[in-house]
Amino acid sequence: MCDVQAKLIAWLDRELSSDQAADLDRHIKVCQECRSRLETYQQVSETFDVYCDAVMAAKKRRRVPRWVPVLASAVVAAAVMFLAFPQRPVEPQPVLTPTVAATSVPVPTPHHAAEPAPRKTIHRRRAVPPVQERAVKWQATETAVQIAIPAEAMFPPGAMPKGMNFIAELSIAPDGSVKQVRLRQ
Amino acid sequence: MSDDSVPLALPLLRLAAGSLEVTTLYRELRKPLLRYLVCLGLSSDEAQDVVQDAFLSLQRHLASDGTQENIRGWLFRVAHNQARNRQTSYHRRFIEPLDGEMDFLADDATPEQRVLEKEKFRRLAAAIRLLTGSERECLLLRAGGLRYREIGEVLGMAVSTVGDTVERAIKKLAEKCNV
Repeated sequence: MCDVQAKLIAWLDRELSSDQAADLDRHIKVCQECRSRLETYQQVSETFDVYCDAVMAAKKRRRVPRWVPVLASAVVAAAVMFLAFPQRPVEPQPVLTPTVAATSVPVPTPHHAAEPAPRKTIHRRRAVPPVQERAVKWQATETAVQIAIPAEAMFPPGAMPKGMNFIAELSIAPDGSVKQVRLRQ
Repeated sequence: MSDDSVPLALPLLRLAAGSLEVTTLYRELRKPLLRYLVCLGLSSDEAQDVVQDAFLSLQRHLASDGTQENIRGWLFRVAHNQARNRQTSYHRRFIEPLDGEMDFLADDATPEQRVLEKEKFRRLAAAIRLLTGSERECLLLRAGGLRYREIGEVLGMAVSTVGDTVERAIKKLAEKCNV
């Protein structure tokens, strides 16, 4: 192996001083191995140059970013999935309303804010899974419980005059006090 | 004419002279710069933007009496730094395969020539993959016509280091490519 082989590429790139270049010129004329190596290095340099041109030409043609077809494919796939497996309509959640312990009478309830009613006195009509129960929020009203009591249930037999009958309606507030008493026939 | 218009003329004249110089440099260096940036991994549009910004910076540099030594190296360095800011993983994109994108071959190339060229580039791309980042950058700047001193200024390396790096890179490619 020649000692000057480390300088061949620098000679090719004209980076040597004039003295070094002159020495190498003389050596290359008589050294077949160095000439062969120089030819190889020259070919590699030219191929690399052409490769750079190819990369540039390829990038010019590739104006559409590579992620665009990927994104388009994802959108098409999502559309196919949506059409193939349409989403089922969501069933409405059962609305829990407080009910009375005894006979209930529908009374319009005001919708302004109030303290939540004590849960102990509420009986549900339908069994609801505990998870759904937490999701359901019913609005507390000032009237917690309404009770309708027939007159014969309040007085002993014979105490009421014949032909007279009424029902007592009691509205009980959340704190347990009787809020309203109304008699109706 | 008032005295106020006099000082305005001098910078404008200087700017006009600088613009002429920049225009000449633009014609000469635009394509090598674009190729360098694209080979670094920037898209064609990104490379155009970076080249434009680099020449605007050059215009300001000359207008503010900046140094005029080695303008080519200065431009490549500005473009190189901007490219680095835009892309941190550009090396990977440079070595993406060019399969199916060999339209740059001459139209009169025979199918056999095309196959041989494709194989040559495939081997070269595989060899480039084995180079380090600085080896690739040195080769790209060398392919852009820069001297070792200019490459050293762009990459912040000593001239002797550039020589060693270029030599090592070329020998690696020659060994792997068998051209």
